[in-house]
Amino acid sequence: MVKWLVTVHGSATTTAPGQGGTLTLESPDVLGAFTYIRVPKGLRVKVWARRLSGTVPFRLLVRYTSNVTVAEPTWSVVDSAYLASPGSVELEKRRPVVVVSGNGTEAVSFAFSDSGGAGVVSFSAEIEVTDEDE
Amino acid sequence: MVVDELGLVRVGEHITVFIPATQTALVFRVRSRANAGGEVLNYGPLPIRPGTTLPTYDGGSVTVPAEGVLPARSYTPVGVSFPMPGAYDPGDMWYTTEEDRDRLFHVKMYVHPPVVRVDLQVPVGVTQGRFQRNRVTVGVDKDFGFSRGYAETVHLPAVRYGYRFGNDTNLNLRTFARFVYGEYVVEIPRNPELVFDILVRRVPSYWVTLPVNFADPAIESALTRVYGTKGFPVLRYDQRDEAVDEYRKVIASLRL
Repeated sequence: MVKWLVTVHGSATTTAPGQGGTLTLESPDVLGAFTYIRVPKGLRVKVWARRLSGTVPFRLLVRYTSNVTVAEPTWSVVDSAYLASPGSVELEKRRPVVVVSGNGTEAVSFAFSDSGGAGVVSFSAEIEVTDEDE
Repeated sequence: MVVDELGLVRVGEHITVFIPATQTALVFRVRSRANAGGEVLNYGPLPIRPGTTLPTYDGGSVTVPAEGVLPARSYTPVGVSFPMPGAYDPGDMWYTTEEDRDRLFHVKMYVHPPVVRVDLQVPVGVTQGRFQRNRVTVGVDKDFGFSRGYAETVHLPAVRYGYRFGNDTNLNLRTFARFVYGEYVVEIPRNPELVFDILVRRVPSYWVTLPVNFADPAIESALTRVYGTKGFPVLRYDQRDEAVDEYRKVIASLRL
């Protein structure tokens, strides 16, 4: 049984309303920064708790691609959350967002959009990489 | 219960080490556990040295950036050993010689993050994962033939084991190894009837199957040197008389 629970976090600076982009992430278990998590073949990624904070409102997007090995992966939004005002919000799911890997090229990334102006947007999440169905 | 809450064999119980390649087994009785109460060893990062070049699953190579970091999409092609200053071999903490034939290391290794692929080479350099006899070699460098985050084995004296690791994520993983192990003081039962009853599973024993699907001469040579035998042949339930005769001969040749 594989069960890796890991915290990832990232932040970005915005300079104007309506900005967005992929979040660059870090983690205590990982050396260096990364922009996506490739799901090992046969495993699945579960996104559990998410924490949004910022000096401006913004929308967090959880995205998925079936093939991250191509030059320009096609990302689909599978979940989103909105920080409506400066401050923070913590969202814990009883049922997580799940991304299953069938051939080892699937990946999950996090992006932000609709920033409310110039400021900082931050995000962290508990992600589980596991072979469990439940 | 043969094992305790750590999954280690209780004192007085038996442990059977089965070798698939030769269909033989070594049967031991645990007389005592030398590290009773101190079975957990938080080793630290995997012994992957900075600057080492590793192959990747994508066909290239990558350099290890820091101690114990398994780079994204890389694997160790040859098994590594775990150094420990002061050990008989400071470069391999689990290696012992025939002098220590009355000792047996039963090792459970937990690797963090648990997505890390793990397999064993016994002896080091010999990949033992096989599919359809010897048609396909499998392991951490292939799509299957490995476990993730965990390995259990018994370290036989005079045989060098190699641990291989693989990382099929896109992340440079900071690794950590934790061992739960028993340093057993062992003896081999001298009663051929008892050995037979253990090998047909009539008498409880904890079985560990060594990942040995290819009978490397180094293993047989080490077993003969250490124990005086390659092991007890595992026979059928209805071959009791034949087995007992055979086991009597094996017992007569034992060095332990």
